[in-house]
Amino acid sequence: MVSLDASELTTRELNRRIKASIEEGADEIVIKNPSARHNIAVGVRRPCKITIEGSVGYYAASQLDGPEISIEGNAGWALGENLMSGKITLSKSAGASVAASMRGGEIFIGGSAGARAGISMKGGTLLIAGDSGFLTGFMMQKGRIIVCGDIGDAAGDSMYEGTIYVGGVVDSLGTDAKYEESTEDELIELWAELERNGVAGRPRFRKIVSQKKLYHYDTLERLERTLI
Amino acid sequence: MCGIAGIMYKDSRSTGLAPIGAELIKMLETMVHRGHDSAGVTVAGESLDSDLLIRIWADESAPAEETIARAKETVISEGGAIVSADARDSYLRLTANYEGDVPRLAEALLQTPGVVLHSIGEASEVIKDVGTPAVMDERHGISRLSGTHGVGHVRMATESKVDISHAHPFWAYPFTDVTVVHNGQLTNYHGMKREFESRGHVFQTENDSELIAVYLADKLAGGAELVSALEASLDDLDGTFTYLVSTRDGMGYAKDRWSAKPLVLMETGSVVALASEEIALRSVFTEELDRTEPQEHEVMTWSA
Repeated sequence: MVSLDASELTTRELNRRIKASIEEGADEIVIKNPSARHNIAVGVRRPCKITIEGSVGYYAASQLDGPEISIEGNAGWALGENLMSGKITLSKSAGASVAASMRGGEIFIGGSAGARAGISMKGGTLLIAGDSGFLTGFMMQKGRIIVCGDIGDAAGDSMYEGTIYVGGVVDSLGTDAKYEESTEDELIELWAELERNGVAGRPRFRKIVSQKKLYHYDTLERLERTLI
Repeated sequence: MCGIAGIMYKDSRSTGLAPIGAELIKMLETMVHRGHDSAGVTVAGESLDSDLLIRIWADESAPAEETIARAKETVISEGGAIVSADARDSYLRLTANYEGDVPRLAEALLQTPGVVLHSIGEASEVIKDVGTPAVMDERHGISRLSGTHGVGHVRMATESKVDISHAHPFWAYPFTDVTVVHNGQLTNYHGMKREFESRGHVFQTENDSELIAVYLADKLAGGAELVSALEASLDDLDGTFTYLVSTRDGMGYAKDRWSAKPLVLMETGSVVALASEEIALRSVFTEELDRTEPQEHEVMTWSA
């Protein structure tokens, strides 16, 4: 196990040391004193268990492919941006744009998430034990957002594909979003997901998907039309 | 992009004045990645030996010494008695006893050639400059100032030019002690500015953020409570904004309906601290702390 004290390192040095430690065979790294700094533990592309003992700033654990990161505190904006694979667990709350452009893997938020959670998601699962904010799932393309608590206004606004499950109150649906019935199998799977992450309760999740009326990919280009 | 910060100690009556200047500078220095072309603070709740504290900057239209001399004459001719006058570069910090109508004095100063009026307060002052917070602190000794509360700003100019007067905070002329710092941009600035000017309001710069100060001044002049003015601004101002307002006795925030610009808030029994980013709070409160993130379309105020 490798222990790194962030207070003794610049952010660049810290991130380099994380990667170097993994190259040298470390399978577990602990980072102390993050002090809510930005860009901690970014760009790690090998599996490793990383624990961050404290709150982080913006873009924490972004651009990852493989690691399992556990953060004991709050996060600023864009936690887990562009996650390719692996797992990120945040014990408290995330700011805006958590899981932005996420492509795979899983992000679990023990507290609540801010506005634009899961913006432009392209895969994977974002699980939020508490509430999620305004414009959650904005322009989502694929993947799954599970909100155990309430969800703010404009939920699922301009979604292409993907699914948002909400256990609590929906303040309002976004443009081109609609409700759909969750099947019993879906609910059972969701409850299993909650249990795997230590979340109590079995809400009867409401499902939000795209109406698919905003975009028309079957429309021909102008030049194509003249050929027919 | 811009960064904002605010801090208020709730029980200074028993604990004494706090090092507001130093703490604001610490918070702002951690956010220079959000903007470093200009910086500014309002230090409030200062202990003064006079009625008013006036901060003036002499613009480039005339030699600074002349403008500063004229400004002093104006204060005297309006019936003010100068208690202290500290002139440094093109800045004048003046304390004065004055029993008249502050709007009258403010107008007279505005009419004085070369004078840019940064603030008039009973217990607070606006200090702003180009450069980073550290540079500003060195030039103006902000770390030496104590008070009960204050707000600060680091600037990344996006809509208007970089110069001393276009920096924040903006004073809600002519309301003593009401100042604003803003992160964001207002998209109905020009229309609203024309409307306010036609009703006699004064804009000293072309910075869209100044509109918030004028807007609040207008609401306060109409008898509104600060919190109602903040609430009304959520619907009247268009664009992106998280802004902090500092008053004689307290402060407040307003967040736009898009939750477009960040804000984190920490409140304990003795202190309230706000900033664009948590890293700013951690420069003053170094241990792990509990903080919340205000959401969209929200206002809150605190008073000592």
